[in-house]
Amino acid sequence: MKIKVCGLKHSKNIKELTQLPIDYAGFIFYPKSPRYVGEEFDAAIPALFSKSTRKVGVFVNEELDVLLAKGKKYKLDAMQLHGGESAEYCRKVKEAGFEVIKAFQMNDSFQFESLEKYGNVCDFFLFDTKTENYGGSGRKFNWELLENYKGSIPFFLSGGIGAQDAEQIKQLSHDKLYALDLNSGFELQPAKKNADQLEIFLNKLELNTMNKDKYAVDERGYYGEFGGAYIPELLRKNVDELQENYLKILASEQFKKDYARLLDNYVGRPTPLTKAGNLSKRYGTNIYLKREDLTHTGAHKINNTIGQILLAKYMGKKRIIAETGAGQHGVATATVCALFGLECIVYMGALDVERQAPNVARMKMLGAKVVPAISGNQTLKDATNEAIRDWIANPESFYLIGSVVGPHPYPDLVTRLQSIISKEIREQLEKETGNPNPNYVIACVGGGSNAAGAFYHYLNEKDVNLVAVEASGLGVESGETAATITIGDIGFIHGSKTMLMQDDDGQITEPYSISAGLDYPGVGPLHAHLAVSGRAQFLSATDEEALNAAKVLAESEGIIPALESSHALAVLEKMQFKKDDVVVINLSGRGDKDMETYMKKFN
Amino acid sequence: MNRIDQLFQNKQKDILSIYFPAGYPKLEDTLPTLQLLQDKGVDLVEIGIPFSDPLADGPVIQTAAKQALDNGMTLQILFDQLKDARKSITMPLILMGYWNTVYKFGVDAFLAECQKVGIDGVILPDLPLEEYQEEYKAKFEAAGVHNVLLVTPQTTDKRLVTIEKAASGFLYMVSTASTTGGALQASKEREDYFKKIAALDIPSLIGFGIHDKVSFQHAASFSNGAIIGTAFIKALEKGNAAEFLESLQ
Repeated sequence: MKIKVCGLKHSKNIKELTQLPIDYAGFIFYPKSPRYVGEEFDAAIPALFSKSTRKVGVFVNEELDVLLAKGKKYKLDAMQLHGGESAEYCRKVKEAGFEVIKAFQMNDSFQFESLEKYGNVCDFFLFDTKTENYGGSGRKFNWELLENYKGSIPFFLSGGIGAQDAEQIKQLSHDKLYALDLNSGFELQPAKKNADQLEIFLNKLELNTMNKDKYAVDERGYYGEFGGAYIPELLRKNVDELQENYLKILASEQFKKDYARLLDNYVGRPTPLTKAGNLSKRYGTNIYLKREDLTHTGAHKINNTIGQILLAKYMGKKRIIAETGAGQHGVATATVCALFGLECIVYMGALDVERQAPNVARMKMLGAKVVPAISGNQTLKDATNEAIRDWIANPESFYLIGSVVGPHPYPDLVTRLQSIISKEIREQLEKETGNPNPNYVIACVGGGSNAAGAFYHYLNEKDVNLVAVEASGLGVESGETAATITIGDIGFIHGSKTMLMQDDDGQITEPYSISAGLDYPGVGPLHAHLAVSGRAQFLSATDEEALNAAKVLAESEGIIPALESSHALAVLEKMQFKKDDVVVINLSGRGDKDMETYMKKFN
Repeated sequence: MNRIDQLFQNKQKDILSIYFPAGYPKLEDTLPTLQLLQDKGVDLVEIGIPFSDPLADGPVIQTAAKQALDNGMTLQILFDQLKDARKSITMPLILMGYWNTVYKFGVDAFLAECQKVGIDGVILPDLPLEEYQEEYKAKFEAAGVHNVLLVTPQTTDKRLVTIEKAASGFLYMVSTASTTGGALQASKEREDYFKKIAALDIPSLIGFGIHDKVSFQHAASFSNGAIIGTAFIKALEKGNAAEFLESLQ
């Protein structure tokens, strides 16, 4: 939930507020208001807030020219129209490049149908208490009325909210409630806010911890310095559309219900957390395996495709594009497209099409069209390029990306959809050991989606050591490797600023690993941030070490792991554990697809 | 005055801009190609910086870029090749490429080289406008290098307002939702889009899908001119670049 503080005026007061997580700062340009900024208002005052706080001008039936001039002078981002402004007026303000917040005054006879004509011309509505003087009454309206609002435009809740309302606000469940508008309830005198009281209130809402989470993505898609959306203008509208919709849809009751139901009775969740007794003995500690190998289609990839296909469906998309390396994400995408009756086009490097014939056959049987990518080196990187090019040429399509890579919001979207893994680990571990937190969570990283999911709910739990394992191929010094964090540096790939394998001239180099799911020259921006900030430890395992680890698991636990997951298992040999440690390894997939490689090695 | 601004001041119609990748088909071809373009009356040139992963480009430019890289082309070699270009080349020159190569080169070093060899503008399709404005705009302006922005048929009116405010030099009007080298279908919708952009206060050139005299003239009738890339690269490959340029007259 966003926070707007309205009725600001004095620079000294504003300086007390800039440390608070305020998303919208409101300045009232209505001369009859007691919080009117006045004729001589200094343009430097709104600028005291950082860029992440949007500046809102509040106007009542103002002349359009005057409003636009103030917008320019004070560098306003949004216009709150608090009078009887027409839809046409709103449209003009929106076309001038401002976010439009149209206010409406609530009483028991308010007709929500009257909002329909404002639907296309406003970004938000604001529901305030009905008064004679365009708001500012300090009274609340009957919040039960909100249940009658069934529209699609998110709204600000306004009118008399005070410090005592925190608990009631936390109970509000309307899925279009976007922000709280705070004003007279937090004032020492008109236009002078009580910063301490505001801070206590925001703490009570528990927004502070959310907004200050240093491992969460920010509004522009950055984790620390990594992420963003470095895309050509050709993709801007598509990416904007997704950015605007994904959180709203993910938070909606309908999505939550559909996603949970499909994970439960189609994917086969929750997956077990298996105590690996023999492996534990071997390494003298307590090892648990999170069994993503037991999901439908045999890997964690389906957690994400189920979520994204729902998103595509709610957004009215009919044609799905995906990229795939080893074919696991391609199969998981073809699967959900079959389930939802949507057209599915999977790009796969021509070399991978040859190497991963069984998965190509599966995708085809599921009705997907597999297009070999013949550009570049004909592997995952090139398949991703081709998928993005398809998206440029077919902007009405939905690009269903397979890992925590790509432009914002994909890294965050995929992380959230995979976070079911760590959610379940917590619950299962608490039942098993009485403590939801293990000492270690270990996962392999190519793009990093299974690791992101396994780490997610532990990111802010400092006592949990997060270990990410990259594929070092023939060795990090060999030149034949995919250990991006170890040998890469900062660059831009597939729309994201991240760590990258590249030459001195900024050309992206071709990675190598025996595991087709890990040979990606970049890494998700979250992982780049976890590595640089030191939150996660990045290790690597060679082809040889991974193959041996697969054999150990097969023989000691009766489980044949995917080659990718074998890299995570391989670091058990390199790490020192205490007897009482609890170690969780995310077993991201099963090894059926890798039998040819295993047989070559062990026969 | 920046040569791009000068060009648009002196000529408002039928501006012909040509794109080709540096170091293609042979490493040392950059300068001779520039000379040919100038001799044939081309108004403006975009020199492509080859990149391993050109997301917005179709197969022809991808293949050409790969060949240039195989030839050993780098950004530093390009600047070296252009060292004395201004002794004979008077056309405005633009470098077009992907952000990773420029970032890796170092933005300050890149701009210093641009100034040294006489580059008038850049087109960096995957550098977001917001990041550009916050972190780099001042540096580009100080170096006198225009950052030419793209608009597409998908660009919303709201974003267009932002782009128009931020634009410098001219707007690169992408004709159609496609990567480079596609075909351009005429339609009422397309023409309305061209007219809308042409009505803005900044000059514009139409690119993507312009491949011969007819499509050039059609596009140029809605704007200040048009950009040809893929078709010219095909001509370079076939060795008939001069004839191709003459056929546009």
